[in-house]
Amino acid sequence: MSDRAEQFFGEIGQHGCERLLEEATGTMRFELEHENGIEYWFLSISNANVEVSRDKRDADTVLHLNRTLFDRMTVGEANLYTAWVRNELRIQGDVRLARLFQRVLPGPRGSRHPRTLAPARRRQA
Amino acid sequence: MNGDLVKLLDGNTFVVSEANGDIDASPTTPTGLFSFDTRFLSKWRLYIDGERLTALSIDDIEYFEVRFFLVPYVPTPDIDARFSVIRTRSIGNGFSERLTVVNHERQTVDLQIRVEIGSDFADLFEIKDVRNKKGTYSRLIENGDLRLGYERKAFRRQTLITTSKPARVDEGGLTYDIHIGPHEEWVTELQVKTLGVDGLPLRESLQGRPLPVNPQMRQNLERWLGEAPRLTSDSKSLTMTYRKSLVDLAALRFTPLTASGRALPAAGLPWFMAAFGRDSIFTSLQALPFTPELADTTLRLLATIQGAVLDDFRDEEPGKILHELRYGETSGFEEQPHSAYYGAADATSLYVVLLDEYERWTGDAALVRLLERHARDALHWIDEYGDIAGDGYVWYRRRNEQTGLENQCWKDSWDSISFRDGRLPGPLRATCELQGYAYDAKLRGARLAREFWNDPAYAERLEREATELKTRFNRDFWVEDGEYYALALDGDGNQVDALTSNMGHLLWSGILEPSRAKKVAEHLLGPRLFSGWGVRTMATGEGRYNPIGYHVGTVWPFDNSFIAWGLRRYGFADEAAMIAEGILDAAQYFQGRLPEAFGGYDREQTRYPVEYPTACSPQAWSTGTPLLLLRTMLGMEPRRDHLVTRPAVPLSIGRLELLHIPGRWGRANAFGRGRLDLRKQKELRQHQIMSPVGGSELSLSSAS
Repeated sequence: MSDRAEQFFGEIGQHGCERLLEEATGTMRFELEHENGIEYWFLSISNANVEVSRDKRDADTVLHLNRTLFDRMTVGEANLYTAWVRNELRIQGDVRLARLFQRVLPGPRGSRHPRTLAPARRRQA
Repeated sequence: MNGDLVKLLDGNTFVVSEANGDIDASPTTPTGLFSFDTRFLSKWRLYIDGERLTALSIDDIEYFEVRFFLVPYVPTPDIDARFSVIRTRSIGNGFSERLTVVNHERQTVDLQIRVEIGSDFADLFEIKDVRNKKGTYSRLIENGDLRLGYERKAFRRQTLITTSKPARVDEGGLTYDIHIGPHEEWVTELQVKTLGVDGLPLRESLQGRPLPVNPQMRQNLERWLGEAPRLTSDSKSLTMTYRKSLVDLAALRFTPLTASGRALPAAGLPWFMAAFGRDSIFTSLQALPFTPELADTTLRLLATIQGAVLDDFRDEEPGKILHELRYGETSGFEEQPHSAYYGAADATSLYVVLLDEYERWTGDAALVRLLERHARDALHWIDEYGDIAGDGYVWYRRRNEQTGLENQCWKDSWDSISFRDGRLPGPLRATCELQGYAYDAKLRGARLAREFWNDPAYAERLEREATELKTRFNRDFWVEDGEYYALALDGDGNQVDALTSNMGHLLWSGILEPSRAKKVAEHLLGPRLFSGWGVRTMATGEGRYNPIGYHVGTVWPFDNSFIAWGLRRYGFADEAAMIAEGILDAAQYFQGRLPEAFGGYDREQTRYPVEYPTACSPQAWSTGTPLLLLRTMLGMEPRRDHLVTRPAVPLSIGRLELLHIPGRWGRANAFGRGRLDLRKQKELRQHQIMSPVGGSELSLSSAS
């Protein structure tokens, strides 16, 4: 089992994710492929709450990808959308839900707030 | 792009070919069959007995179907062609071509027919220079079919060509040796499928499930046209332009994979058949009185892909509305940032503007409630991430220095923002229209907060901020010595002072001091900005002015439509009508299809509008332009549950009736009659600018 995946799903299972939106309601199954087989994670999402289990159940959206790639996504090193365009991530079912789920994943490390690019100016008016 | 090319279009699948139907892509002639930002055919050439054919005529039946009538090349006109060829081509559920060869002789003829086929699988971003592709190609002949392939790691794209009549298939194409009896014909059907991973149709391969069957395209188009308001007018060219706009808008509809089967307008053929925040929003605004469902889809889709994190490569911030989303190889392998790219500083404010305007027309309160969180995130973006300098303005500066955009406003080419003398400002910029959009977004957001989100405190805060922004803006952007608004501020707070069309959008947003609006209108319709066809993007006499410079002198129809709307907002009905007349006159020269941009040459000088060399056509917000101009000429505004009209129609257009306008009132009608003799007024204008006119008296529409 992947430590990172367990940590990641454990976190959102416990605290939910406020970045998830109301319309992100549905069920998702992650199939994380590794050298010894496939690891399943089942998510039931509603109102920014996420119930997590290890069941291999039918879901609205099924995401199939390499576990290492998923691990990298959970720390902002890989992007869900581009992995999909490259055919490294396969999505079955509701693509919109997968796209909404991307909001849960962190952005790349070291990304800057735009204000860091501006000279310090005092607020006027 | 080259006007001789023939285009077929179905959302983000399209074919561009030469006049005889052949495809033979080169860096200068970007022909091909494209789908999801990948070229699936770069060669598709027809030979008979080794000779290529000449087009006699082209029957452009619908945007998804075309017929080419071809003959062999004949050296002198007195020799009749022995045979002719009809190529009937259509798209929608793939690409198909029916090839009919007709023998005109009294005896049997033997002919060799050859179709040369190839694909470079270029990403749309590399069309102009397809080199050093990192993947590998394959060509496979199986069961009489030809399968072309491209793969790079897991990325797979395939083109499958099948024929109804058996052919000799080789890696470079298909050959038929045929006999045709006297005055008989021979027919074969060629099918081309665009496939992804596992050899599944591309769309299906990405979604991983079979797709619902598309409704017949013809019925779909008829329904679309049937539901749109009906226009009758004395101006034949206006009715032609109107119909062309509706048809092109139908063609440009595109269903992104994340939109649950709903369609929104893609930006334009051939380079921009993708989801664009700014373009989709502006087009949806233009089309609101005609096809409000485009706004509905645009609002939902842009919400799904709203920015959530900080990402330097994509210039993404939480709450930001995307600039551009692509599906091609360069996006997938992160060689280009369009996955999605967020380098637009205007789309986020415009999103809120569209949401409010949509509700005012349709009364769809449910969508306003559904999207509350997105709209609040967008409004939050304005202050938290848009205000880079921390002084209450919306700024931009790219964090992606390699492939990001230097200018993140609608004039997004590198040299569009300059001082009078042509100097370019530093990378941190706040263009004037961004402030107008932010002002408008705050006021409209306040209305939504009060009426739908039950949050009057938030509404008051937004209104207070809008008022402060307006005061600040009118102080800092007003160029005293020229009496106009600066194009932008630079990072040091200096006015970037070229005279441009940007201030026309300020009228639309309502951020201008009314006392200064007259001066602005004078500049917009004055000889330096107004070409006779429309308002130039940049005034003559400015350092970087160039009549065929993309954003520094050309006339953009869409720009003009929003300026006209703004002029009406401030009471300049005649001036708005003058712009409407100029742009609609120009449309005649393009058979009703306004290009993205045309040259800024003076109308008196060229007599016809010169198309910008590589302009996109059809282009969504040019296609939407005649619709918004109709709205401004008729002075249509929703007021509570009524449609109010205040017609101000140029004399040259004559009678104008728009029937069956959809909205919260059900369906309503609007009427106008040309009263404004703009030629006479133009002469008067040499001496003085007229005072604002309210148009004819206010009339309530009748519900029908």
